[in-house]
Amino acid sequence: MVLKLYGVAGWGSTNRILVILREKGVPYELHEVDTKNKEHKSAAFREKQPFGLTPYLDDDGFILYESRAISYYIAAKYANQGTQGLIPTDLKANALFQQALSNELCNFDSFARPLILGVLYQPQGVEVDHQAVDKMISALDEQLDVYDKILSKQRYLAGNELTLADLFHLTSGAVLPICGYHGLKTKPNVARWWNEISSRPSWQATK
Amino acid sequence: MVLKLYTYFNSINGKRAAITLHEKNVPFELHNIDLFAGEHKAPAFLEKQPFGLMPYIDDDGFILYESRAISLYIATKYADQGTQGLVPTEPKANALFHQAVYSEITNIEDPANKAVVEKLFKKALAGLDPDEEYYQKLITNLDSKLDVYEKILSKQKYLVGNEVTLADLHHIPYISLLPVTGCHSVDLRPNVARWFKDITSRKSWQAVKDGIKSTSTY
Repeated sequence: MVLKLYGVAGWGSTNRILVILREKGVPYELHEVDTKNKEHKSAAFREKQPFGLTPYLDDDGFILYESRAISYYIAAKYANQGTQGLIPTDLKANALFQQALSNELCNFDSFARPLILGVLYQPQGVEVDHQAVDKMISALDEQLDVYDKILSKQRYLAGNELTLADLFHLTSGAVLPICGYHGLKTKPNVARWWNEISSRPSWQATK
Repeated sequence: MVLKLYTYFNSINGKRAAITLHEKNVPFELHNIDLFAGEHKAPAFLEKQPFGLMPYIDDDGFILYESRAISLYIATKYADQGTQGLVPTEPKANALFHQAVYSEITNIEDPANKAVVEKLFKKALAGLDPDEEYYQKLITNLDSKLDVYEKILSKQKYLVGNEVTLADLHHIPYISLLPVTGCHSVDLRPNVARWFKDITSRKSWQAVKDGIKSTSTY
């Protein structure tokens, strides 16, 4: 049975998975969740995703949530097709990969997401807090200075091969310019890396 | 050569890595980093951990940081010794494991980390008073997540199933500090309380809760 993804087209966490599905050439059905009418907070939805968040995956009855866990599962299940090496298997290479995955969530997205929410997803009638936004941009910029150092020594975040850790950055990274942050294009090594990963057909088809 | 753990001995994230070292009976040397002197922001430290965060390990020249990556590496490298099953390998169980690991970071660590910083560290490190309103907002958010944990843990003993995994153990360091901030949300939820008592009674947490020490034998 074809994979069923319950999410919202265009939303970061759903898009994160779509990139990986495309990299691995895996067919899927995207079932749109009616978030405007709070479908994701309904009892029926919470049966599958108890935190009331999109997306979740139904793989022939196997339910999984957390976009990065779903992406990981797809890359592992379809290891033999599509883009190779997205999850390194050698012990040390895998450890550096896990380190890069942790960096993506804890040292990048945890800085990018509040900025994106603060600029683009304020509740109706609430003004953007420009002072807070400036602070968040500053903090994110410091993180990307570290990325620039890392990427001056190696091609990708886990080493010299592309992995899930690089691809996970695409959905939040792509929205940063609209939020007033341009570091992905101005820091030389980050820009080189960002141009490479964002030119990939999987991202071009998703964005 | 014995594994070296570089961290402030009382570091929350340092303890996360140390729990796994103890679970797998791995000898290690603690190299204490002088947190209050800012040693983790000095060039020598940044050479190894460019984000200036603790911990990192030096495993016979192999440098690794991010406590959960260290934890996973140790559990995988020493799969055959110590506590078994900390990282399920069967594909669906492994997927549910990663789901629980990510759930911990996005649902628990995020509000708990901010709550602990606001109530405990802001004064100690920056001399500023906590913003009570902000703290309460964080706890309200955390409570809504713990309500979900309560439901999950009413059906199974641990987060991934009926065996303990790293996903459970990773929760310990931040959650253990919540009562110190004045938050007793864990005690108010019977299944969460049962689960947390179980995982914190393990010898691994007992060994590190009051500070990490070099350990050469088990």
